[in-house]
Amino acid sequence: MGKFLLLAFRNVFRNRRRTIMTLFMVSGGVAGLLLAGGYFAHMINGLREDTISNGLGHIQIFTTEHFRRDEVHVLDTGIDNWQRVAATVKTVSHVRGVAPRIEFYGMVSNGQKSSIFMGSAVDPDAERSLGFTTDVSSGNNLDSRPGGEVEAIIGAGLAKSMNVGVGDGLTLLSVTSDGALNGVDVQIAGIVTTGVAEMDARYLRITLNSAQRLLQSDRITNLVVGLDTTANTDAVYAALIPRLNGLPQQMTLKKWIDLATYYKQVRTLFNGIFLFMGLIVFFMVLMSSVNTLLMTMFERTREIGAMLAMGTPRAWIVALFMTEAVLIGVLGAVAGVVVGNLLGVLINISGLHMPPPPGYTVNIPFLVEHVPSLMIGSSLLVIVSLAFASILPAVRASRLQIAEALAHV
Amino acid sequence: MDYLVKVEAVSRRFPLDHSYVSALDDASLRVSAGEFLAIAGPSGSGKSTLLNLMGCIDKPTSGRIVLDGQDTSALKPARLTALRREKIGFVFQTFNLIPVFTASENVEYPLLVQGVGASERGKRAAAALESVGLLSRAGQRPDLLSGGERQRVAVARAIVHRPALVLADEPTANLDTHNATQLIDLMRDLNRSLGLTFIFSTHDQRLLEHTPRIVRLCDGRVVEDTQRQEVSHG
Repeated sequence: MGKFLLLAFRNVFRNRRRTIMTLFMVSGGVAGLLLAGGYFAHMINGLREDTISNGLGHIQIFTTEHFRRDEVHVLDTGIDNWQRVAATVKTVSHVRGVAPRIEFYGMVSNGQKSSIFMGSAVDPDAERSLGFTTDVSSGNNLDSRPGGEVEAIIGAGLAKSMNVGVGDGLTLLSVTSDGALNGVDVQIAGIVTTGVAEMDARYLRITLNSAQRLLQSDRITNLVVGLDTTANTDAVYAALIPRLNGLPQQMTLKKWIDLATYYKQVRTLFNGIFLFMGLIVFFMVLMSSVNTLLMTMFERTREIGAMLAMGTPRAWIVALFMTEAVLIGVLGAVAGVVVGNLLGVLINISGLHMPPPPGYTVNIPFLVEHVPSLMIGSSLLVIVSLAFASILPAVRASRLQIAEALAHV
Repeated sequence: MDYLVKVEAVSRRFPLDHSYVSALDDASLRVSAGEFLAIAGPSGSGKSTLLNLMGCIDKPTSGRIVLDGQDTSALKPARLTALRREKIGFVFQTFNLIPVFTASENVEYPLLVQGVGASERGKRAAAALESVGLLSRAGQRPDLLSGGERQRVAVARAIVHRPALVLADEPTANLDTHNATQLIDLMRDLNRSLGLTFIFSTHDQRLLEHTPRIVRLCDGRVVEDTQRQEVSHG
């Protein structure tokens, strides 16, 4: 077996120039996949953590009623006595904190012009403790100081539409939990650029107390649970379900992945693009390697004839050619992983940026992640491709007529 | 009497366009174990075809060949492969050594195919190389050996597994006269010392001087089968 592998290994380097060309192509394919996949992984992982830290959290808790029916009045399917629920959640390990939220909507007016807003109300301290930062492009974030005017942060698009800036006043109008119309005046504390133009045009955020005053209710829409790491989501989810079973209201838990529709769409898109790239590399390696391996077979016809004459089983000839191809695949994959990672490091320190993707307004840093599973997957892809490529030459070699092969010139 | 090889009324025809060409026509031959036999004849007389048939790397169109008591025309391909592996050693006109193997590794090859262990292979390859006077060149690859040395390595490879029959098809065709004579003498010595049966083909009359039995072919037919007393050399 050792001698057989040695024969295959030495055969790989019989025609060094041809082998180097093949290795160049194979390693180029692997490096290309690593760079593209590494960039996609950076984008997807970045989007995931951004999605979570922008307020989605790792787990959200709603009343089950919230999903059973539409609300007749605002918050009529909301969580009562949310402090008790939050206290229960905090007893589970890996939970960093819990933030109450109210989702509401209404009209915003500057006295001359009105527009629709999609509002959220938060506890600024709880949000801050969970790292759910809202990056204001001008002004300040919300804080929990009681009294004074109701403060709000709004999207840049809404600010532009209302022709207001930091320190200006706006009037919010919404329907209360009793069905009455209520309004509050707010002062703009800060302006936010979310990166998504559609969201910037409707974004409005006030404190939980202010929203409860506007909506005339002590309820909240949901609780957002933040964990130490995203990897613990499933474990905490499983631990929370039995603990919340004994509460007066039946609760439903949603993991971040269930709520991150945009993230899932982007991930599916990137996976599709990457799969397509993988197929291109697979067939590129396959087609060019078939040609190279067939040339190798023709050059060695007489030698193969002699080996068969000496009683070498035909299966050995098949195995020899396939082993040689797989060795080229392994060497190419190793070279590709090394080159791909080195290029990845160079790209990461170069500080390059990519133009913003559709719907985004900021440039994306061009960073490449080093993903072990991608290295293994890309390597296996080219190795399998070369193994496939070797089937035709290997079978042809094994089926040579010995007398004809020995007379081959 | 038991013969090692029995060639019985063997013909071999090859298709050519819409017709065929007869390379061997009703040839019969019997070879005993331990013989040293030359198949002589001009180019195209059917020497290589006859050797290919005796070596089980081609099948006769008609007739049969019995090797060591087995009718080779009745054997399945896998059994023929095993028969070649165990009973036959080959020496080819163009050496056909594996270029990425050293001389020693080339000689080991038939043992490798037989599944012999590494240390046993090494010992037997060294002994075979010693018997052809090339032990000192064991670590060299074929491209660093002369033509004569390569063919001697090929002879060592053919005898390393002690086959019942060694077939050499024009083994001297790529050698100069000196090396050619030396190679035939070497094969004869191995025939005598190891008791191996050698059958080689040649069209060079000078190499037949010391051959005890000569079978002459012409146009695919056996035209002469001469057995003679050897002249001993001082």
